[in-house]
Amino acid sequence: MSDEVELHPAVAGAQPYMRAETQGENSAPEDAPLFDDGAGRERLEKVLSRYPTRRAALLPLLNYAQERNGWVSRPAMKEIAGELDLTPAYVHSVATFYTMYNQRPVGKYLIQVCTNISCDLCGGEEVLERFLEETGTRPGETSEDGLYTVMEVECLGACGFATVVQVNDEYYEDVTPERVPEILDELD
Amino acid sequence: MPEEENSDLVSLTIDGVEVQVSEDSTVIEAAEKAGVVVPHYCYHPGIPTRPAQCRVCLVEVEGQDKLQPSCKLPVQDGMEVHTDSDDAELARKSVIEFLLVNHPLDCPICDAAGQCMLQDYAFETGQLQSRLNEEKLVMGRDRIADDILYFADRCIICTRCVRFMREVAQDDSLVVAQRGDRAYIDTFPDEDLDNPFQGNIVDVCPVGALVHEDYLFKARAWDMDKTPSICPGCSNGCNVTLDTKENQIVRLKPRYNGEVNSYWMCDYGRKHLVMGNRGVRTEVPLVRQGGELEPMDWSDALAAVGERLGGIEGGSAVVSPDACNESLHYFRRLLDTLGVPADAGSYRVEQGEEHTLPGFPKLTLREDRAANGTGADLFGFRRVESWPEPEPGAPLFVLQETLREAPESYAEDASFFLYLGSHLSPAARRADAVLPVTTFAEMAGTFTNHEGRVQRFQKALQPPGIARPAWMVLSGLLARSGDGSPVLDAADAFGEMTDERPEMAVLNWGRVGLKGQTLDSGAGAEAGAGAR
Ligand code: SF4
Ligand code: SF4
Ligand code: FES
Repeated sequence: MSDEVELHPAVAGAQPYMRAETQGENSAPEDAPLFDDGAGRERLEKVLSRYPTRRAALLPLLNYAQERNGWVSRPAMKEIAGELDLTPAYVHSVATFYTMYNQRPVGKYLIQVCTNISCDLCGGEEVLERFLEETGTRPGETSEDGLYTVMEVECLGACGFATVVQVNDEYYEDVTPERVPEILDELD
Repeated sequence: MPEEENSDLVSLTIDGVEVQVSEDSTVIEAAEKAGVVVPHYCYHPGIPTRPAQCRVCLVEVEGQDKLQPSCKLPVQDGMEVHTDSDDAELARKSVIEFLLVNHPLDCPICDAAGQCMLQDYAFETGQLQSRLNEEKLVMGRDRIADDILYFADRCIICTRCVRFMREVAQDDSLVVAQRGDRAYIDTFPDEDLDNPFQGNIVDVCPVGALVHEDYLFKARAWDMDKTPSICPGCSNGCNVTLDTKENQIVRLKPRYNGEVNSYWMCDYGRKHLVMGNRGVRTEVPLVRQGGELEPMDWSDALAAVGERLGGIEGGSAVVSPDACNESLHYFRRLLDTLGVPADAGSYRVEQGEEHTLPGFPKLTLREDRAANGTGADLFGFRRVESWPEPEPGAPLFVLQETLREAPESYAEDASFFLYLGSHLSPAARRADAVLPVTTFAEMAGTFTNHEGRVQRFQKALQPPGIARPAWMVLSGLLARSGDGSPVLDAADAFGEMTDERPEMAVLNWGRVGLKGQTLDSGAGAEAGAGAR
């Protein structure tokens, strides 16, 4: 299918995006092969050794693609399909089933604001609004400087510390709209 | 469907009707036997998996608290099933209401209208008025293959198409992308399907989500006439239905035959006929008089040809492997009468690449791209790579071979050239007499497929002008010289043929029926058609 189908708002990159110029230290250019270098091969073999079938290694390898590139690109899906004897279409099916696999490039900082019940009661919506305002983006869109992608997320499992915001791999707890500029400053 | 002979029978009742089915049947199959059609979407008898995911086939089983999906539920002895209880009907109604939540209700411009299972069941058991206040989700449409379009909004994610490709075509290139109400059917981005059997996904789609671009907006289902026929694309002899409108073939659909093609057909077959019937047709008999081909009515033409044949002895013949058994039979008889040596008759079969459907290997697009090469063999014609140049000064007889690929000078020096054909090629125009005959779609008759299965096709179209089936023309010609009487009916032609040819003696017009009968066993396939 072409790209015209609208993605779920919870999918990062659902909106028009700008490619982040840099993606942090670990990131590789999006079209660099995943498994050509030592690190890639090592991860592949380690993952494969854990499962009885090659197909079972699909999710961990998609994780790896996202870890390296920030998203799961078409060349990455094809490469994984080749390694696991699956069709690219099958990999595409699995990768799109999970909203946590980014289907478009995202900003250097992926900001996920929880708006489920506990966080929402404690002002999650307002926190989200503030992040969007400060970064000048719409949900799922990447800011023009390539730094930020802000989106809503379902429960992050830290309801005791509402509102919870996850930035890349880190949690920010008890976030209020007032703390938003401060958090963004810290990131840069 | 399971082989009933090989397993034990159990009895159960469906809506009070008692049925006996093999113990490995499911309830939906038992219901079909009881004459009850349980609405179903994800279940298709030709696709192995039963995901029980659409939930429209829920039925009530006595002694079980929850409604059960009848497509997956194995039968048990003594089971009492209700497909029409209040609970079952309410469940069905609710499922259909859910399916219509984001459906665009665009039946007036949908190719499937009139043959859509969603339309049918919604009309039969659904909610008359929508209770939905929310805005509908709009997904749009996409190209899935070079000639197949996908209307995502009409899709009910029954996954029949995905499972056909995965399990029957064994080509895992069509998948469900995304999930929930955003789910749609997809190939890998920017890659189209490319499988010789992909057209079947349009047939299995219970709604109008997958449509053939070739037929897009061409005809409404209820405006088409449907005639049981045989695909003439290759020697496999797939059973098909010809959908016709205003005396034109609109499309071919596979017709179930468990011995030949199951529920499927190949894409070559779908296109071959619709595209392949071009060229100038013969419409009236033409007989050469003083150098010019003069149009005549049948009796004058047959008289003129009969007179010319009177003084003829020997010669050679060419037949088309698309001619039916009956026509070949009378043609052979005519050649015998004229003393044409048995080995002086030849036929040529166009060759193509072979493709097998992995999930049903009996369906193979054969290298022989003609319906009745086996028949031509049977009647003693010799297979050749290219037609031998007829002996100069000798007569030549041609049955239905268009000679389109013949060299320019072909048959230039024939002493007498008789052409019975449906199309006029440059070579055919050189004939001394052109007798216009019908194509298989314009007549009834039989073909013999690659494994010796004799199958009937019926008349779907009116022939142009006064063209007639070749067997009718030939029997008329023979009758002029006192050899039998003219045959006007395909069943009679078949009867004379099977009476005269010992190797065909086992065949019976009635038993050949719609499913065919093989020459060796004599046993007709009693395979019953399943639900769509
Ligand atoms: S396209 Fe048709 S066959 Fe395929 S999932 Fe949708 S409704 Fe079912
Ligand atoms: S396999 Fe042969 S007979 Fe069957 S649909 Fe294809 S072309 Fe027609
Ligand atoms: S047909 Fe039984 S659940 Fe779909």
